[in-house]
Amino acid sequence: MLNGLCTKMRFMMISAAMLVAVAPPAIAGPVALGTKLPGADLALKNAADGKAMTLAKATGTKGTLVVFTCNDCPFANAWEDRIVELGNGYAKQGIGVVFVNANNPGGNKGEGLAATAKRAKSRHMQFPYALDESSNVARAFGAERTPEAFLFDKDQKLVYSGTIDDNSDEPKKVTKQYLKDALQAVVNGKAPPVAETKSLGCGIKFKKAS
Amino acid sequence: MAALSVATTAQARKKIAPVVVPADLQTILSEVRRPGAAAVLLNVWATWCDPCVEEMPSLMAIYKRNRDLGLRVVLVSADPRTQSKKVSAFLAKHGFDGPSFLKIGDDQDFINGLDKTWSGTMPVSLLFDGQGRRVKTWSGLIDQALVQTEVDALILKAKTP
Repeated sequence: MLNGLCTKMRFMMISAAMLVAVAPPAIAGPVALGTKLPGADLALKNAADGKAMTLAKATGTKGTLVVFTCNDCPFANAWEDRIVELGNGYAKQGIGVVFVNANNPGGNKGEGLAATAKRAKSRHMQFPYALDESSNVARAFGAERTPEAFLFDKDQKLVYSGTIDDNSDEPKKVTKQYLKDALQAVVNGKAPPVAETKSLGCGIKFKKAS
Repeated sequence: MAALSVATTAQARKKIAPVVVPADLQTILSEVRRPGAAAVLLNVWATWCDPCVEEMPSLMAIYKRNRDLGLRVVLVSADPRTQSKKVSAFLAKHGFDGPSFLKIGDDQDFINGLDKTWSGTMPVSLLFDGQGRRVKTWSGLIDQALVQTEVDALILKAKTP
């Protein structure tokens, strides 16, 4: 499994020739605010039914939330209940919500199609939890870790990227609900009060570009 | 006699399980800036972080090669506070007996306080000179030879009058 890991530094070492045909170029960090929904037509697989999907088909009338997450990361797990609650809640308010698992499962049975489908069901996700089997959607976003959220407005322009809130370990001690505040602002047609945040997180285990 | 002394020191080091101290950014930076080192290498990691675990042997090789030459290695774990025994056991297994912390406090303050260009993805290694000035940041797996070159330069610089 370790050999399958690919950090940002490793991407920078991949030769340009390997990236030409299929994979979008590696991006240093998340795409800039104002960027139109990247990778919108790249292939994803909805874990719940195994069918192909794209972000372009999952956008909402008021905005779109894309969260890169996975099943095995302690940080993603710590925030999972809160993110799912936000996703379920704002999906009913005109936000298209998609969770994306871009981890190359390698030999890890905790990731991959079956585990992701099980996760979506057990956590009662009322939106797609999709596999990014090539990791190309994550590359297009410049996503690096899990969980990492990207929120787009009704025109599909990026208005927020970053973390969920300011306390992964202790939900009761959260003082800044960055993503919730951004979602509410987008639903109201306003700019998020905070547009970019950071957090510690697990590096995405990228599948090698082909 | 000298060989016996080295062996004894090595045995003593092997037996010591590092105390892992919960610490905020300021406490960690105080350790980085504490006088007495020619260079300080700070690494942020976690026991559940696969690439962090993967690079630990390289990090320990740098530590063991340079600790008596003036390099201080400071490890900061992002594991939950409840995992301090696991962190300590892991570091003992790798023979680390230097300063070790469990990060507490706000993530953004911590990340930006170390290096504003760092996204928060682990592992990350930051190299400081003897005055506590950051000179390099490596995000992702370290290149042991590259880090050694930078450490050598700082140790040499510290020796130069």
